[in-house]
Amino acid sequence: MVSGSRQIPAAPGPASSVADAGGAGSAGQSAEGEDRLPATQPFVEIRNLRKSYARGAIPVLKGVGDTMSKTDRLVILGPSGGGKSTLLRCVMGLETIDSGAITLDGRNYIECLSNGRTFVDRTVQRQVGMVFQHYTLFPHLTVLGNLILAPVKRNGEKKGAAIARAEALLSRFGLISKLKSYPSQLSGGQKQRVAIARALMLEPKLMLFDEVTSALDPELIAEVESMISELAEGGMPMMIVTHDMGFAKNIATKVLFCADGVVMESGDPETFFAAPKIKRTRDFLASILRGTKV
Amino acid sequence: MSGYSFDFFYVLNGFSRLLQGLIVSLELTAIVVGIGTFSGFVLALATSSRSLFLSVPTRLFVEIFRCTPALIQIVWFFYCLPVLADVFWPPFTMGVIALTLNLTAFNSEAYRAAIQAIPAAQRDASIALGLSRWHQAIHVVFPQVLRIASPVLVSNSISLFQQSSLVAIVSVEDLMYQGKLLAVQTYRPIETFTIVALIYFGLSFPISQLVGRIERYNARLLA
Ligand SMILES: Nc1ncnc2c1ncn2[C@@H]1O[C@H](COP(=O)(O)OP(=O)(O)OP(=O)(O)O)[C@@H](O)[C@H]1O
Ligand SMILES: [Mg+2]
Repeated sequence: MVSGSRQIPAAPGPASSVADAGGAGSAGQSAEGEDRLPATQPFVEIRNLRKSYARGAIPVLKGVGDTMSKTDRLVILGPSGGGKSTLLRCVMGLETIDSGAITLDGRNYIECLSNGRTFVDRTVQRQVGMVFQHYTLFPHLTVLGNLILAPVKRNGEKKGAAIARAEALLSRFGLISKLKSYPSQLSGGQKQRVAIARALMLEPKLMLFDEVTSALDPELIAEVESMISELAEGGMPMMIVTHDMGFAKNIATKVLFCADGVVMESGDPETFFAAPKIKRTRDFLASILRGTKV
Repeated sequence: MSGYSFDFFYVLNGFSRLLQGLIVSLELTAIVVGIGTFSGFVLALATSSRSLFLSVPTRLFVEIFRCTPALIQIVWFFYCLPVLADVFWPPFTMGVIALTLNLTAFNSEAYRAAIQAIPAAQRDASIALGLSRWHQAIHVVFPQVLRIASPVLVSNSISLFQQSSLVAIVSVEDLMYQGKLLAVQTYRPIETFTIVALIYFGLSFPISQLVGRIERYNARLLA
């Protein structure tokens, strides 16, 4: 379990267990990108991202830009309605955008074209995994069925091979006894852990977590957070939106403070939590400490 | 009492003919239900499409079949299609086509409501898992809406079985057709049609009782 004091070290080198998350056959994958990247090139780069809903009537992201390196775990904080979920959804390729671009591993995979359409490179998009605040397991499939659906149907993986990988993954995260359970038979914490495992089956290079514990009863939060921490220790690059400041402090290597659709402040967690540069951030942190949600 | 004395003897003599007719009715129903259960889903996807090119014509199609009598639909296909399209298919085929389109239209309405009941978050998750729209429709949406809509689908199918009796009009040799022949030949229409009705009832009633069970099972799984 995540204790308040434990700090997760920055991700080790590329040969770490990022690939282990998905099981065998991917050992080279994470190393490959690292070799290709010059040290200065960010792993993820978001450039001038603008996004509105209702055809421009509701502007949400108003020119967001930031970068993240391969060893980073980017925690996105900010008041409700500030655009955190929207930002992650854009990175996942779930939303059309009004301007800007996002690159992963040096490849422009989401871009607003000159004709205003949003281009999404599906092959790169597949290297990104996401887990949501709401439960999204498919209720008609067992845990195993949920895990192997995309690998078998989308990637054409042999069913036997996918099942073997799924079993390995479920064992690793203490879920093997739930293999044949349906989502309705799982606790909220188990549902979210299975959802994480389902995303890991596709061997993502980047994981996105959008408030994955906020629908959970307090006693179930730790098991999900510790699973994410374990992935972090294995070197998985991730972006995390959370309202849990303890968890944020433990896991972050970089913090982004997002409000009113812009990045107000970004930097290393020590500075951010100890000595925030701008007043808005200080107010936000103070309100969280007081326990009031902004 | 009217004083009518029932005599089932001659009718029961012709019972094997009724059974032959029943087999034709069941074949027809099985084919139509088999196709209509899936085609109704595909049609529902089209009617709920954001593209007007898809949704407008398909909704029109649905309304045409929902708002005209099935009898007219069958007769129209039997008499008008050969003239308009220059095709001459056997009556059974014409019956299958007319009733399949009819059931597809009704089923699509059941599916459309069910599709709306699926949380949008599942769509996001499907995209995040890289599932194509088709894979999503077939492996994520269809199995769920099939369950959600199954009470309506089953009762649509039972109605279809009853309506299949209309194809007797265009001389498909189904249960109703054989019943009519037998009634004329035995001069015993009351007995004949009573038996025919009992056969329709005996097959439909148990299936209609399944609906409640299906509802309870689904409530557990999709909770
Ligand atoms: N589909 C949508 N249509 C219209 N407006 C939307 C939509 N989704 C989000 N918004 C609006 O965009 C703004 C940002 O929403 P977003 O969900 O990104 O905020 P958030 O920072 O994740 O907030 P929270 O902490 O409450 O999750 C909000 O004002 C919200 O009302
Ligand atoms: Mg949010």
